[in-house]
Amino acid sequence: MIKPEEALIKPLPIPDGDTATFWKGLSQGELLLQHCLECRHVQYYQQGMCRHCGSVRLEHRAASGRGKVYSYSVVYRAPGPAFKNDTPYAVLLVELEEGPRMISSLVGGDPERVTFDMPVQLVCEKVSDVITLPRFKPA
Amino acid sequence: MGFAHQNTLRGKTAVIGAGLSEVGRVPGRSPLLLAADAARKALADAGVRRDQVDGVLASAAFASSFHRFSVAFSEYFGIQPTFSNTLQVSGATAATMFNVAAAAIAGGLAETVLVVGGDSLLTGLSPDLALRSMTESRDQQYEMPFGIPVANTFAMTAHRHMKEFGTTPEQLAKVAVIQREHARRTPGAQMTKPITVDDVLTSGMVTSPYHKLDCSLISDGGAAFVVTSVERAKSLGIRTPVYVLGCGECYTHEHIFLMPSLTTTGAVQSSRKAYEMAGYGPADMDVAGVYDCFTGTVIMMLEDLGFCPKGEGGRFVEDGQMTYGGAIPCNTHGGLLAFAHSGVPGGLFHFYETIRQLRGECGERQVADAGLGLVHSLGAGFATNATTILGTEATL
Repeated sequence: MIKPEEALIKPLPIPDGDTATFWKGLSQGELLLQHCLECRHVQYYQQGMCRHCGSVRLEHRAASGRGKVYSYSVVYRAPGPAFKNDTPYAVLLVELEEGPRMISSLVGGDPERVTFDMPVQLVCEKVSDVITLPRFKPA
Repeated sequence: MGFAHQNTLRGKTAVIGAGLSEVGRVPGRSPLLLAADAARKALADAGVRRDQVDGVLASAAFASSFHRFSVAFSEYFGIQPTFSNTLQVSGATAATMFNVAAAAIAGGLAETVLVVGGDSLLTGLSPDLALRSMTESRDQQYEMPFGIPVANTFAMTAHRHMKEFGTTPEQLAKVAVIQREHARRTPGAQMTKPITVDDVLTSGMVTSPYHKLDCSLISDGGAAFVVTSVERAKSLGIRTPVYVLGCGECYTHEHIFLMPSLTTTGAVQSSRKAYEMAGYGPADMDVAGVYDCFTGTVIMMLEDLGFCPKGEGGRFVEDGQMTYGGAIPCNTHGGLLAFAHSGVPGGLFHFYETIRQLRGECGERQVADAGLGLVHSLGAGFATNATTILGTEATL
């Protein structure tokens, strides 16, 4: 059960077997993508097999950190108390240079000036001893 | 993949009873009571006794702590079914309940299934349950840390649709205006005051491009249906059975960032499957109930369900094609935007309206000679899509 005071705390990811390496990479300033050694498919969502060809031969490689805004939505009414003080903020669907898309949010820019295809650059934002979030700033 | 003729669900089952609880702001009634209210009315409508029901399919309720809602419902309702399940594919659950009911009956798991749902999102959510539903709705590692409500996922698809096809905020708003107009003729609807496009555009931004009036309501309410075999419907002497003619579903992703296309959804596959089974196409449909959690959702669905070409949904709505006198009168009860939206039961309200249209019981809302109706349910940022096509005796 969630207590009201707990709802004020932003939800932080809890790394699991599939994501431990990914979150460790971020804490060291790298956004790790999974590259399939069989079919060259690149995936952001961390899992034990290639979603394209089914191979389990995957290798982590650091992303360039460059991407562009594929879509976005500026949030004026927060989903719960934890994000209330951040509004308005821009949730981004970023398309990475390597291909995969990911959800993130804008830092260091005016959320109301976000546009489609806007170039963005990865910012590794440390939020706890374990977790560093991948956020993006205007490039 | 085509359907082997002998395996089709087409025309094997019929909806013989439909019931609706009071909807809108209904304080003091639990989700189970709202569901039971609706179920009692559905059985009375069909002329079927409780002990003639041998199957129960239910949706889970946010405002209820029961994980096995269908089982808790059966206990509450005083029945001991020999087939039961609680389905969970978010907003798409409504149509999946009809599809699964048809398959269960055709396959011999049950003869007469009660499809039921009830929830009280408006007055029944304890602060704890409300917080939980807000904070646990998206992926804990990849989505929630960035403050992304489920509304935001739908907003990003609509935004992309605007970029790719030039869909305008006014066209989105028009959906809300039309459905509000529909709700004005629906007894018991939650919102009946007329609105204009300007009212929508000045109602305050929630998550761009969606304003407050682009978003569906939050309501209490339940709905229930009796589905049975055509043989049982005949032996009961049902006057206006509504037949299940086509069923289809499609699940394209879980995470919004893995949605194959932000502007073309699994509704294309789910409806194609349903049309193929029914032997009818979009142009044959007389009336439609389209899950309308947001205005832009309806525009995208009108395209993906085949009522207009891709990218032209905005103009289609603007031209009045989704209302009376247009190509496909859609959400004639007002939908989630104006009638009521109590979670998954909100999707059942589309079935209630479509079935009543096909039975010719909609009074001043009646679409003339409605013989074929399509209901489409969807959820979780278009992750889940389910279509059911219904028809009268003449369409078999």
